[in-house]
Amino acid sequence: MDMKRDYYEDVQLCTSGVVVFWLVALLIGLAAFPFLASSYTLYMANFLAINVIVVIGLNILVGYAGQVSLGHAGFFAIGAYGTVILMSEAQLPFFAALVLAALIAAAFGFLLGLPALRLEGPYLAIATLGFGLTITQIIGRIELFGGRQGLHTPDLIIGPWHLESDRDFYFLLIPITVLLAIAARNLTKTKIGRALIAIRDAEIAAETLGVNIMGYKTLAFAISAFYAGIGGGLFAFVLRFIEPEIFTLLMSIMFLAMVVVGGLGSIMGSITGACLLGWLDLQLRNILEIPYLGTWLEALSQEWFSITGVSNIQLIVFGTIMVLIMLFEPLGLFGFWIRAKKYWKTWPF
Amino acid sequence: MKRNGLVLLLSGVIVLLGLVSGVTAEEGVTDTEIHIGQWGPQTGPAAAWGSVARGTDAYFKMINERGGIHGRKLIHHMFDDAYNPAKTKAGVKELQEGVGIFAWVGGVGTAPGLAVRDYLMERGVPWVGPSAGSRHWIDPPYKYLFAVYPLYEIEAKTLCRYAVANMGKKKIAIIYQNDDYGKNGLMGAKEELARSGLELVAEVPVNLTDGDLKPHVMKLKKSEAEVVLLWTTVKHALMTVGISKAMRFTPQFMSTSTCSDFPLMMHISKGAWEGVIAASFGELPDSDYPLMRTYKQEAFDQYAAKDERWGVFYSAGIVWAEPLVEAIRRCGPDLTRERLVQELEGLRDFKGISGNISYYPFDPNDPGCRQGQREVFLVQCLAGGKAKQLTDWATIE
Amino acid sequence: MIDFIQMLINGVAVGSSYALLGIAMVIIYKTSEVPNFAQGEMALISTYVAYMLLEQYQFPSYMAFPLSLVFAVVLGCVLEFTVLRRAKAPSVLGMIIITIGLEMILMGLVSWKFGAEQKSMPFPISPYDSVMFGDFFVSTLEILTLVVALCAMIVLFLFFRYSRLGMAMKATQQNPVAARIMGIRTRRILMATWGISSLVGASAGLLISPVIMQPYMMWDPMLKGFAAAVMGGMTSLPGAVFGAYLLGIIENLFGGYISIEFKSVVAFVVIVLMLCIRPSGLFARHYVKKV
Repeated sequence: MDMKRDYYEDVQLCTSGVVVFWLVALLIGLAAFPFLASSYTLYMANFLAINVIVVIGLNILVGYAGQVSLGHAGFFAIGAYGTVILMSEAQLPFFAALVLAALIAAAFGFLLGLPALRLEGPYLAIATLGFGLTITQIIGRIELFGGRQGLHTPDLIIGPWHLESDRDFYFLLIPITVLLAIAARNLTKTKIGRALIAIRDAEIAAETLGVNIMGYKTLAFAISAFYAGIGGGLFAFVLRFIEPEIFTLLMSIMFLAMVVVGGLGSIMGSITGACLLGWLDLQLRNILEIPYLGTWLEALSQEWFSITGVSNIQLIVFGTIMVLIMLFEPLGLFGFWIRAKKYWKTWPF
Repeated sequence: MKRNGLVLLLSGVIVLLGLVSGVTAEEGVTDTEIHIGQWGPQTGPAAAWGSVARGTDAYFKMINERGGIHGRKLIHHMFDDAYNPAKTKAGVKELQEGVGIFAWVGGVGTAPGLAVRDYLMERGVPWVGPSAGSRHWIDPPYKYLFAVYPLYEIEAKTLCRYAVANMGKKKIAIIYQNDDYGKNGLMGAKEELARSGLELVAEVPVNLTDGDLKPHVMKLKKSEAEVVLLWTTVKHALMTVGISKAMRFTPQFMSTSTCSDFPLMMHISKGAWEGVIAASFGELPDSDYPLMRTYKQEAFDQYAAKDERWGVFYSAGIVWAEPLVEAIRRCGPDLTRERLVQELEGLRDFKGISGNISYYPFDPNDPGCRQGQREVFLVQCLAGGKAKQLTDWATIE
Repeated sequence: MIDFIQMLINGVAVGSSYALLGIAMVIIYKTSEVPNFAQGEMALISTYVAYMLLEQYQFPSYMAFPLSLVFAVVLGCVLEFTVLRRAKAPSVLGMIIITIGLEMILMGLVSWKFGAEQKSMPFPISPYDSVMFGDFFVSTLEILTLVVALCAMIVLFLFFRYSRLGMAMKATQQNPVAARIMGIRTRRILMATWGISSLVGASAGLLISPVIMQPYMMWDPMLKGFAAAVMGGMTSLPGAVFGAYLLGIIENLFGGYISIEFKSVVAFVVIVLMLCIRPSGLFARHYVKKV
């Protein structure tokens, strides 16, 4: 750790010229990417960006405040349905609808945070899980929301800009993602972030120091629900169709897995975790197309397993990667990064 | 410097590739190949429907074995979407933009299909035979979207009419899956019963994730229904029939085509399925229909994996592809998408292993112009998984 | 009134399978504080092993079922030994993610080997036979499940209270360091708990399989079992069983009288409400941290 001389050094965005350089390089790369990549790659990038938004928000709750949630698909659904309904029924412009829907999700997050004040561990897991399942049931019940038949999103027009292609969505999504990531980073460096960490590490000690436990815990829920709501609203437009069955428990579990695999309490970790698992989730279906490995797997299935179920190798690979990362590095991908950095800093000693 | 060279080389390759693919007349068609795409869940909770895509695959292999269509082989690109619309969209985009697909066939599920429908239609890519009997495909009709699966409501109406007119039953109840599939069945049953001044005595929704159906069956039993329509997945239909049997509640069960695979249903229900009446949109896999025999011998026996089962889902994969193959054949050597649409619209009473298929020239106000197959027939399950045909092919408007 | 009693009976009947899985989760949670999300899939694979022995290798059922239970014990021990024990400085969340990963691997293996199609388990008792008590029906399979669940609860309760191994498990849970100092091999104890838990879970799987047998059959019962265990306090065996029956009864009454559509989620709503009043479940003493 470098010596810090004043508080400003702790909250500033870029700690050194090197970081500035890489940050600028990253932004340029992100801006140039759509001109090099195919539309499919951009769709995937959009999808990953949405995951990143939700996971960063969830990390504030899980990594910083030390709570657990298996119900984030619920907030995600609220954001998606809220945005679409506010646009099509209330004729709100896109950004207003998106933010308003996310605020509704945040309000639900606040409400869910109230019982969470007394719960922890598996109790909290079951309570949030119940929330996620119930929300989709309720949405499916309401005819205004298209019931079980689902909803098509309206055309997305922001001012003079009519968003149609994946590239358009990319240019909408990436700035939002970057902004939200920076916002989250700043948040964790300020009073709120410190308070949350204090609660996570020693709740009673924090309380005696005057940290408002109730306020901050519910705030953490609300903030992470807000992020999930934004993610959901954007997801609806990337997919252009939503129905209640999309927002399953599996989705909530996936979000949680991304947070933990990426690394608790690290924004960079959340980004890499969301990208890695999201990418695997989308791309593993092609595992049998890989030369040699694919044919070998098929031969293996023929011999010992079944050809009809050969696609399920995806699940095995996905699970194995998750297990291995967690076995070797409790801090997830972020932990690997720290270790690698330390190793090279002191190399060759 | 070295990197610049690499970029130059890469862009050169890309331009070259672009030139090569620019030679062909139509996306996904070369002198020797036609690229057809399909999605289907091979993993996840809906994986039992995965055999639809594998059936299509065997069918295409059979056609290729016979020399293809006008010298072109059908290249089948199928991928696993795990019944997750986000993955369906990803896979469709990847194949459409990476490989270049001429047309899409089959495609299991309403939600996955709806997630890609607009994408395919905007690009003008033909899509034949979505594997779901939803109204979403034809109402409003799309120029490039050709439905084969008869609407779920037609199945419901046919079953209800048979129950009322032929069996003289008055008390009809339904247990339906709480989604598009179930609600369409519910609607059809209600409409048909209203014609004869009847009403459903019980409407019981069941959620996809429900694990215990006793409360549902108690509701059905309380309504004293004589006929119960099963508009659910195989699993829930099985549980409903089983629990009813345990509760000594013995109405006449009637099911959708989803559960019309009698040998399978008899096996997994340990005989409880006997007597159930089901609608069917295709000839039964074990029937003596000559074309079905041919498919069994030349497609299934040749190309199916050894753990595959010759069942309704598997043969459904052939049903969805038949009109597409026929239309491509009729196009002759000069294959374009516009021509394909014309030829599909020209199909009149085309008979494969499903009912008669007819399409009509595109009319934005007539959903019927894109609903190819409207006919179903009813069968009853006998001991040993044998089927007794109750009615002929017929349709209800 | 007849309906009401029948619903109660149905609730108890369905509660039994929840109870078995709830017990299985409690056993592991008691010693390692990890809610084991792979519980259902461990049972799944054992059930499919029984199926394979019966169908493919033509074992008689009196051999196939005990063998699959033995397999379950071995599987639990092996998973603990090869995977969970290897975790470096594990956090509870990390362990949860590992169990979720295991869940996917096991599910993948079963679907890969057997495909997704429904299977028919040759079980000695038909799930469609029922016994009548006056006007009420109970299926024979459910009676068997009830008996197994209650036996499992009683045996395990006595085991934890009176046997040496059970005492050692309790000691490990309460204070691992002290337990080690007293000469208890805590790691071996942990392995044993995974074995026992897997056994209990597998018995639930075998009892569910005659009705429905496909790779996703354990997901819903596992969640309900987890919910039941939470309701009972997560560390109490009678609590898990009581929670399971309560859950089953609430579900059935709610489905019968109020709304069948929301039947599958009402359990969770009830749990949230209950947890607001008793944050550590019905049977566990609320642990207040002292400074």
